[in-house]
Amino acid sequence: MNAIRWSLRWRSLKHRSAQTFLAVAAIGAAVALPVVLLSVGGGVYAHELSSIEQAGFSLSVGSTGAHGLSGVHVLANRIDGLGGVAAASPILSIAVDLSTPGGTVVPVLAEGIIPAAFAATQGAAERALLPSSISLGDPSDTAHYSNGSYTGPSSAQVLLSTPLLQTLNVGSGGHVRLSPSSNATAGVQFTVEGAFGLPPGFLGPSPLFVALLPLSQLQSLVGLAHLPSGGLLDSADSIQVAMVPSQAADPVAVQRVAAAIQVLVPYYSVVSLTEQTAELQSAQAVITGFYVGLSSVGLIVGLLFLVIILLRRVEQERQSIGIRRAIGVPAWLVAQGIVAEALALTFAGLLVGLTAGVATVEFLARYGSGGVADIAGLATFDPVTLGLLGAGLVGLALVASVLPIRRALTLSLPEVLR
Amino acid sequence: MSAVTSPAVRLEGVRRIYHPGGADEVRALDGVDLSIGPGDYLSVEGPSGSGKTTLLNLLGLLDVPSEGRVVWRGTPVERFSERERTRLRRTGIGFIFQRFYLLPTLTALENVELPLQARGLPGPERRHRARALLAQVGLAERERSFPHQLSGGEEQRVAIARALANGPQLLLADEPTGELDSIRAQQVLDLLEAAQRSSGAAVVVVTHNPAVATRARRHLTMRDGRIVTDSAGR
Repeated sequence: MNAIRWSLRWRSLKHRSAQTFLAVAAIGAAVALPVVLLSVGGGVYAHELSSIEQAGFSLSVGSTGAHGLSGVHVLANRIDGLGGVAAASPILSIAVDLSTPGGTVVPVLAEGIIPAAFAATQGAAERALLPSSISLGDPSDTAHYSNGSYTGPSSAQVLLSTPLLQTLNVGSGGHVRLSPSSNATAGVQFTVEGAFGLPPGFLGPSPLFVALLPLSQLQSLVGLAHLPSGGLLDSADSIQVAMVPSQAADPVAVQRVAAAIQVLVPYYSVVSLTEQTAELQSAQAVITGFYVGLSSVGLIVGLLFLVIILLRRVEQERQSIGIRRAIGVPAWLVAQGIVAEALALTFAGLLVGLTAGVATVEFLARYGSGGVADIAGLATFDPVTLGLLGAGLVGLALVASVLPIRRALTLSLPEVLR
Repeated sequence: MSAVTSPAVRLEGVRRIYHPGGADEVRALDGVDLSIGPGDYLSVEGPSGSGKTTLLNLLGLLDVPSEGRVVWRGTPVERFSERERTRLRRTGIGFIFQRFYLLPTLTALENVELPLQARGLPGPERRHRARALLAQVGLAERERSFPHQLSGGEEQRVAIARALANGPQLLLADEPTGELDSIRAQQVLDLLEAAQRSSGAAVVVVTHNPAVATRARRHLTMRDGRIVTDSAGR
């Protein structure tokens, strides 16, 4: 487009500055919404995906039943013995009450683990949050478990999360009492061996007060060591299975181990991280579809606004259009002028929307409360997504030009030049 | 009437009826026959509502007749598509309006450039020709002025320069001095006459002003959509 046409469009935009401002603001608002939604949604997804991909285990054995898995010490040993398996770590998570000698009682999430196996199934990020060695007495948790007898030496040691430790003001070597109920006297005294950090939780409230203790200790404490009838229960929620490093990245090897575990426990589910990734991707696709749908509403409102503004301009400039048509300016040049104006408004709106979207996310990351700031901090501004958004908007601008062009080209020249 | 062997434009039994068949039917033109040859200089007079502007619109291919034919250089206009009519307006017809109708967001130079740009002339050549035309109408110094910075007479001169830009064979002026004082009106008429002489274009001027009409060599009088007199010279 040459200088005259540009200057014509630019002066037209300047001449009707209020309309220009409103149109740019409307399109900007319509753009800012998807920028925020897609960047934050994409960031959370990328973070969760990264967490899965960086996990130190490849398979998870679980059950949907109320009692979870049972006989987990033996089962973990049998899984550990399969070819290609580096470690199998049963985990039992359950809420208990923690009381200090000073009388403070707080609910905590207790995680029963086999220290050595747990450490071997953690990814690098999680391992960095743990002490260099998890000092919870017997690393293999066999002395206390002792083939289901739950006798012998009890480590009675616990690691507490840093926020919990700070709240309780208890140092290493101090004592706390864990109890399955608020009756502290029914609990067991533990020695605090140290602290560990917590990974950020982004998809809901993250428990800040967490205690790590030997699996057999937690089972005994909460009554999940034996059935009420006296039979062995030895319960846990899940068993995380780490592959030997040379096979961890080999999907065939992982599937082979999964099949072998499934033979051992046909009534439990064995899920690979690849499947978890696929599930996450499916969930992300649904959420992205929702975001796109929500954003489309905003974009359509912006589009309608643009149509109204362009129609109004055609109405206001009908005489100018009539003059140009009368002196022989071809219809396509008139149409081009309207498209140029639509695109100019759209690009300006896109720029404003992108800036506003990024600024909003930055603001939330800095000044948002709690989880909002954490989630906003994960936002990623994917150039491809933003490019597609821009391309979609340009397409909408072209669609928005159709009606105004039609109106402009069907003006009655004798009427507008009367 | 001039002796015209090859008319620039010819109207044959032209009727222009608005809202035909309705209670508000208007016969703006009612059976007009007219032939305009190259180099003709016509004035069209008549009371308001007599059909002068409608006649100009049909001659300028801005409108099409309800009945009858408009023949442009031997070809009936109804055979032309809208695109071809636009091209003919661009290359063969110059318009001068009573209210000048300059584009308010363009400078004087850009207004004159507009028809040249529509014809696809490259920028430097376009500007050169536009400057020459502005100089021809005595506005070389005002090329950067916007319409609102010009007097009425200056605006009309810019409009004349724009009308002449593509070397039209037919120059149509609707009350070209209607909003000008007598001195500026004379200047505008001088320019029109000079343009007509130098280009050989046919000129049709609709006017109420007897001073304008005296410049023309052929005079039409209209009433109720009909040409009631068509005489050569006074």
